[in-house]
Amino acid sequence: MLADEVVDCHVLVIGSGGAGTRAAIEASQHGDTVLISKTIVGKGGCTTMAEGGFNAVLRDEDSCGIHFEDTMKGGSFLNDPELVNILVKEAPLRMGDLVKWGAVFDFTDADVVAQRPFGGQRFPRTCYAGDRTGHEMMTTLVEHLDSTDVTTLQEYNVIDLLKDGDRVIGALALSEKGDFFVIKADSTILATGGGTKVYDISTNSSSGTGDGYAIGYRAGAELIDMEMVQFHPTGAVFPYDARGRLITEAVRGEGGVLLNNKGERFMKNYDPQRMELSTRDVVARAIATEIQNGRGSPNGGVYLDVTHLPREQIETRLPVMLEQFLKFGVDIRVTPMEVAPTAHHIMGGLRITPECRTTLPGLFACGEVSGGVHGANRLGGNALAETQVFGKRAGDAAGRADKRQKNVDVAQLRRQRDRLDRFMNGTKSPSLVRMLLQQAMWDGANIFRTGDGLNQALAAANVLADKPIRAQTPRNLAECCVVENMCLTASLICRSALIREESRGAHVRTDIRQTHDAGHSPFGHTFVSKKGQGIEKREVPK
Amino acid sequence: MKDLTVRIRRFDPDKDNEPHYQTYTVKVNDGARVLNVLHAIHDTLDPTLSYRYSCASGQCGSCAVQVNGEPVLACMEEAKDNSTIDPINLTVKKDLIVDLLPKLEEIASFFPKKEIVLPRKADIDQIKPLRDCIECLCCVSVCPAVDVTTFLGPTAMRQEMRLALDPRDNGDRISDAVRDGLFTCTTCQACWKVCPKEIQTPAKAIEKLRARANKRGFTLPRHLEVAALVRETGRSIPRTSESFLEKVPEVIEPAGPVRATVGLFIGCVYNLRQQQSALDAMEVLKRNGIRVIIPKEQICCGSPLIRTGQTDYLSTLQKRNIEAFTSRGIETVLTMCAGCGSTLKHDYTTPFAVIDINELLTQYGIEPPARLPIRATYHDPCHLLRGQGVRDQPRELIRQVVDLVEMPAICCGSGGGVRSGNPEEAAALGKRRGIEIKKTGAEVVITSCPFCEFHIAGHTDKPVRHVVSVLLDGYREKDRMAGKK
Repeated sequence: MLADEVVDCHVLVIGSGGAGTRAAIEASQHGDTVLISKTIVGKGGCTTMAEGGFNAVLRDEDSCGIHFEDTMKGGSFLNDPELVNILVKEAPLRMGDLVKWGAVFDFTDADVVAQRPFGGQRFPRTCYAGDRTGHEMMTTLVEHLDSTDVTTLQEYNVIDLLKDGDRVIGALALSEKGDFFVIKADSTILATGGGTKVYDISTNSSSGTGDGYAIGYRAGAELIDMEMVQFHPTGAVFPYDARGRLITEAVRGEGGVLLNNKGERFMKNYDPQRMELSTRDVVARAIATEIQNGRGSPNGGVYLDVTHLPREQIETRLPVMLEQFLKFGVDIRVTPMEVAPTAHHIMGGLRITPECRTTLPGLFACGEVSGGVHGANRLGGNALAETQVFGKRAGDAAGRADKRQKNVDVAQLRRQRDRLDRFMNGTKSPSLVRMLLQQAMWDGANIFRTGDGLNQALAAANVLADKPIRAQTPRNLAECCVVENMCLTASLICRSALIREESRGAHVRTDIRQTHDAGHSPFGHTFVSKKGQGIEKREVPK
Repeated sequence: MKDLTVRIRRFDPDKDNEPHYQTYTVKVNDGARVLNVLHAIHDTLDPTLSYRYSCASGQCGSCAVQVNGEPVLACMEEAKDNSTIDPINLTVKKDLIVDLLPKLEEIASFFPKKEIVLPRKADIDQIKPLRDCIECLCCVSVCPAVDVTTFLGPTAMRQEMRLALDPRDNGDRISDAVRDGLFTCTTCQACWKVCPKEIQTPAKAIEKLRARANKRGFTLPRHLEVAALVRETGRSIPRTSESFLEKVPEVIEPAGPVRATVGLFIGCVYNLRQQQSALDAMEVLKRNGIRVIIPKEQICCGSPLIRTGQTDYLSTLQKRNIEAFTSRGIETVLTMCAGCGSTLKHDYTTPFAVIDINELLTQYGIEPPARLPIRATYHDPCHLLRGQGVRDQPRELIRQVVDLVEMPAICCGSGGGVRSGNPEEAAALGKRRGIEIKKTGAEVVITSCPFCEFHIAGHTDKPVRHVVSVLLDGYREKDRMAGKK
């Protein structure tokens, strides 16, 4: 027998973070919906770790037009304007859904949802629940999910999409014990989140391994702008094992300042207008430059200081930061934090339409796994909004799709069986391969990039992808699939980064001289698929 | 880098009949967390070790394990050499992975009203402290009531209270909480002491829900009787003979020079039932230079009312008790009942300091008693250990008289109104204590709470004594030996 169990449904949602859970809630109004999660729903993914907030235009003094401009400018005008327009118009509505479903966002004294300033935005439009905003959203979404008919498959790893000709008709998955499942679906939604775990230093949860990019690519989908990797300016640097842990932008939103080892507020040399609340690409490069030029802290970061803020403000607005640092022996009320950039978010991903259709029939995508919304750099607070706006859209469009006959390709199942058998007979440690990949990516595809460095990282990713990795037991099969996905995702990042011969947003090529600024770039999206790769040209705006 | 050795409980239900321990020595970085040790083992020594994690930053609640018997988040707890790592006390799926889903599914969901209602800031501020829960289920894993009765557990109650506070919610949270075991909680405090987010479920959820249940007429009949008795007599138990307060003078002068003066808050049970322990305490204090003032108008502290959600009469009790001591200019009030001590410390705003007798005696130091050739075990009263953080002091006193054999610190079942309201549950928990006591091989059980003394005595054939009574035995033996000379 080729599969241990077969499940049939109308909509299959892969991934249980903010986007996937929202998509499942929406899809369930149209038919049988299965939500498959690599973790426990509500615990996995990066939404639950998101700290700072959710951008939504809620006040008369703000406008969707300004949010649109901020987002386009922050994204170096590489964003897909239609998707941005949808994001800014629908974010307030999706915020309303969350409040209706019981979300406990912070309120002002006037009994309305509170908002804080975030980087690159001209209006304080970031709604928040202390510094556990994503957790608040996930708690709310999971509670709402419980009131729907969605079937959840928890701690199952999707290892590939199921194809019937060109059409995606579901997915293949492994249970935690390594049993092989076939899930057939009329529509399939990829909501697998990001993949910056391919870097040695990353904010991502265990799920941030790029599975969606890899399985989407293998199925034949087209991905855009995969070179656009956001390095969050402020990750922890100490102790070693905590390196990369997210220090929320809300720290700066609340008034935290960045200092080098001379006590200088160095952002004045990089963006004197916006200072610490410049966009993340700018702040991350500024910090990296300070560290490279010997103005860093003893543990290899710079200082992020909130000691001038009232203790009560730190305790109520940044309780998670306070607690996390206390656990590592630092009281941020009296001692500055040490921070350095950390791989955080992939702006690129599967190309989508406003209905979240990918280039493959039957396959939808939403959230971080999709591309186009954030362009070359994402504004803090736009990702949580994206999960809800496009999660709902994907769920709705997938749910409305027709029911259809789905023919499982036995040859595909056999190929997957062979792949799994190969892992059982492998020889190399997948953990070792993973660590080598993460180091190669950190060395070659970091904030400052060159063609040589990228080629080296790409070569490493390709070599590592071919290593005969071993699953010690059937329970280790999923881990092997994940390591393969990481190698493939890393190679997509490097290939795209080599194609984009300009510096734009988060992508900086130090080996290329350029005369245009972001607003006058002749380039559009990079694209990569099994059919080929390239970069779109566009008419240079006057 | 450093080498670290840990012992890990392994269990694969598909292969193993029972769990076994496996010891690993791995290289980890300085400052490594327990999770990093598990990663190191998995990555370099043994890929078959199973454990669960996700965010690795204390926000998702996936990775709870026990380290040396204490539930912690593996991602936040610093790894220590020679630790033992066990799964938390829930059904084990494999190695350190437990089945969280059945308990997670029991946590109530929000049920919105049809009409749109918005919360106000005041509502949000009240809800927020109950909202930090990351559902790691550490609390459920240590809850004694969950094990012996139908109780959904601490975090389910936390959620009922969170929903009860929300004007948008349409559920009947109070009836649901009562149905799901609201009155089975012994208020032992174990849940919030292991909570990584320090959510005070007993005080902020259980007791608040019980107060709301009281308004709805759900209070258990036995608890109503106790409240009526307090109103009538000022005491939570009926008078059957002369009380301690009637037996003793208002001031007890020490035998030697005065080293300290304290006011004594005696509490209902020592006043009316376990009087011998209280009288023994007076002898020990006398011998150690402590002058004791005993205001006779003091009454019940109100603990039985607070724990059962009947708080209407509380302010009257508080006022009278506080005045009894302030009117005499007393700066330090001594308690020997763990429940009264915890109540005076947490539920009163007092102009005086409150100190437990174990704290007082170790702070001032005691005359050494004679050693008795007895093997004893100590039962930590919940309201002393977790309610007041008093752990080492009684042990320091006990070790001066007898040999101490430790047993796990678990609730005996007498607290939170459970002994009166849910006697079967209290008996089940008491029976478990009896088994633990037996395992230690101790000849005597020592504790420091009248409720524990009385309740445990019903579940062991060994004598149950207060710390001070054992000290007094030591002094008597010392005197006898001196007399011989």
